[in-house]
Amino acid sequence: MLQTPFRLAGLAVIVAGVVTACNQGLQPEPICAPDLVGVCGTIHFRGTIPDSTDNVFVAAYATFPQTCNDLIANRQPVIPGSVPYTDSAAAYSVVLPPRAYEWLVAVWKKVGTLTLTPADTALLRVAGYYRNPADTTQAGVVTVPRGGAAGSIDFVADFDHLRLATDFVACTAR
Amino acid sequence: MYRALAVVLLVLAPVDVGAQGILRGTVRSTQGAPIHGAMVGVAGSALYTQTDISGRYRLAAVPAGEVRVRAAAIGYSPQATVVSLTGGDSTTADFTLEASPLELTPLDVVSTKLPRFGDHPVTSVAQVSEQEIDRRAVNTIDEAVDKVPAVQFLNGQINIRGSTGYVQGLNSRVLLLVDGVPMNQGDRGGINWDLVPVDQIERVDILKGAGSSLYGSSALGGVVNLTTRDVPSGVHERVRFTGGIYANPPHPVWEFRDQSGFQGGGDGTWSYGNETVGASISGGARHSDGYREEDTQQHWQVAAKTRWQASPRTRLDLSGAWADDKYDVPLSWCTQGQCLDLGQSYQPFKTDTGGRASWTDSRKAYIAAHARTVVSDRFAWQARGSWYRTDFFDQRRDTSEFGISNRFGGELRAEAHPDSSRTVLVGTEATFSDVTSDVFGNHSQTEFSAYGQSEQSIGRGGARINAGARIDFLAVDGGSLSAVVSPRLGGSVPLGRAGGALRASVGRGFRAPSLAERYVSLVAAEFGLRVVPNPNLQPETAWSFEVGGTTAPFLHFMRADAAFFWTEARQLIEPQLITVSTGSGAAIQLQNVSEARIAGVDATLLAAPVSDRLKTSLSYTYLATERRAPGSSNAPLAYRPAHQLKLAADYALGAAGVGADFRFASRPERIELEGYVDPRRVPMKVLDLRAQWAHGPLELRLLVANALNYIYNLVPQTLAPVRTTTITAVWSH
Repeated sequence: MLQTPFRLAGLAVIVAGVVTACNQGLQPEPICAPDLVGVCGTIHFRGTIPDSTDNVFVAAYATFPQTCNDLIANRQPVIPGSVPYTDSAAAYSVVLPPRAYEWLVAVWKKVGTLTLTPADTALLRVAGYYRNPADTTQAGVVTVPRGGAAGSIDFVADFDHLRLATDFVACTAR
Repeated sequence: MYRALAVVLLVLAPVDVGAQGILRGTVRSTQGAPIHGAMVGVAGSALYTQTDISGRYRLAAVPAGEVRVRAAAIGYSPQATVVSLTGGDSTTADFTLEASPLELTPLDVVSTKLPRFGDHPVTSVAQVSEQEIDRRAVNTIDEAVDKVPAVQFLNGQINIRGSTGYVQGLNSRVLLLVDGVPMNQGDRGGINWDLVPVDQIERVDILKGAGSSLYGSSALGGVVNLTTRDVPSGVHERVRFTGGIYANPPHPVWEFRDQSGFQGGGDGTWSYGNETVGASISGGARHSDGYREEDTQQHWQVAAKTRWQASPRTRLDLSGAWADDKYDVPLSWCTQGQCLDLGQSYQPFKTDTGGRASWTDSRKAYIAAHARTVVSDRFAWQARGSWYRTDFFDQRRDTSEFGISNRFGGELRAEAHPDSSRTVLVGTEATFSDVTSDVFGNHSQTEFSAYGQSEQSIGRGGARINAGARIDFLAVDGGSLSAVVSPRLGGSVPLGRAGGALRASVGRGFRAPSLAERYVSLVAAEFGLRVVPNPNLQPETAWSFEVGGTTAPFLHFMRADAAFFWTEARQLIEPQLITVSTGSGAAIQLQNVSEARIAGVDATLLAAPVSDRLKTSLSYTYLATERRAPGSSNAPLAYRPAHQLKLAADYALGAAGVGADFRFASRPERIELEGYVDPRRVPMKVLDLRAQWAHGPLELRLLVANALNYIYNLVPQTLAPVRTTTITAVWSH
């Protein structure tokens, strides 16, 4: 009579063991982790960091923004993480859906609260962007493959040449 | 009409004292040990009481003649006996209860607001006994409630069958009662699980599903009632010390301190009582270094309770507690660039450097008075009043926030037992809440309500039908009243005499928006967005259906309980990203936006393969949720894992015992504001191991929580507790 219960108890232990072993929970994730789906690389910083710096983040646009509204509404991710900017270079990674991106940009942010509207451009400047290796005057296209990452996407951010959004798109708010 | 009047006069009529007797006795186990907290009562009457720490009870004003007396306690088979009383005399009736680890709900005080002795409730009810609380060696009661089937805590917010999700403490769709007194915060509507010292809690009853027909607002997804220890007769002391250590991060790249983190504390209780009066006072403190960066916590608490048997028929209780928590706010874990990331995309044990030195001081206190008078064996009334105050101060990097809220409540309730087969309960309740805060403003909310419930036995088989309804009138800042009606209908049918039963119920629940939800105005640091008020929020409502059954014991050592539940919710309040027309930019606002369906199965299998020694349980909960909101496609509700599995085993050998709990929850398919927060999430797989040993007045308990040191999060960017090893010593006299 006791055999059945002990079998059940054994089964429960096995179930618990299998369920536990199948997944190891959260794991360390290097910036260019093998399982990253997105973009990663290194940003090389130049120039003098402005006193009013809040942070620097990397954003991607599937199509090059045409308006100031595009600049805010089409940004991926919507709320980007920041990149360390105090050293001369920093590794970065951005989780992005697989597809081609026409503009990968390092954005400098001034201290202040973002509102997710074109008014945010008053706090933001373009510090640098990934360039086409064949024509460095143009932005380079980055393609995130399905299930993988576009690695070694390195570019320069220059604090001495922070550019207004209006240098790239049409804006009404500054 | 005349018949109804006659019934009222009959139940109100005082009984001739000469035709009454006193019933007293003890309730013990088959090993002769006194059973503490057992309920003893005269069947079909308003006469019931609980046993004290010595297992003794006393019932006054019992009608002379033959009466059927019942006794029930968690973990034991209920028992009934017929006692013959002589008017003006005292009669003894002792009970010896047989341990029954397969008993599911032998004693239920939450499903109908009246104690039930082994009768099957019409809705699903779960319990956590004093022994289970002790065995688990927990510091706050939520750690024990978290082990109940179909219950899951998400960073302190309770979900019963997926009721609440996670809304950063801004509300709760579960109502907390302390000895029957509502204790959700007056401003945020949330729950402080450390309000009552865990050592003062004797039992927890959990009602699954809508309970608004009796309890009103917040009982949309369930009710949790904490029953505190009664003051025993004689002089008693109890001292408890705990000490523990947190595991270090399992990967060197996540390390954040050079030494291990510690936690520890102590508390003591002293009480004195006799048959007429009793009082207890307790106090304690706890410190924790925390398991992550910036996570230290200090906790102080004081609690007191008095009882006064003012007359054989009237008992008065006064209780209160005060607790102060000062803790670091670890905020969210840091992602790349927000801290010393060591080349990692995220650092789950570290916080954003910019958010350092954030802390909260949270104080809460309540005082509650309760009176119950047994007018006759057929009629009793009770009244209660309460005051619950919370006071918090948050210090953040650039700013600070504060909030002071009060919740005053009163209830008048009458119970009648016109005959042995019928029970009628009617009551009225009033609540006034106010808040003074720089983030919620200065506002108040008033609620008036009336409720009624009747339960009728049908035939001799023990079938019963229960019907009731409650109407609540709500007003904010003295404005116009809006009404919400919450009916419930249920029934249970025993399946033979072996102990099986079927149950079914349908009820409507609601939750009034909290003052915080209506008037919150701040900048959410983690999103960099403003949160703007919405004074026009309407109550959430939901219809809940349940069909379930409990089997009789089978194969001599097993028993099963299963319920199919279905909830259709309306006007659910969720955070929405909006464009503010009067200002510039986007903001977050809480709005009534969605309808939702939560359906699923909640099944439990109990097994006691070695009677009195080995008890095991396996529970599984399946949730199928669907959120329907204008302008967006249907999707699962956020923070509701589809699968939850819980395994528990306890083996006792004399004065020693060992046990284990395993909890699994699948990865939630959806989270709120995805795209704005770190979306990393994994399934939950937590194994707790425990052991205890008792010798005379001394008990030692060992708990290894999250023994496998499984690293996981339940809500975005918030690491759940790592392995924590705790030793607890309790000395009772």
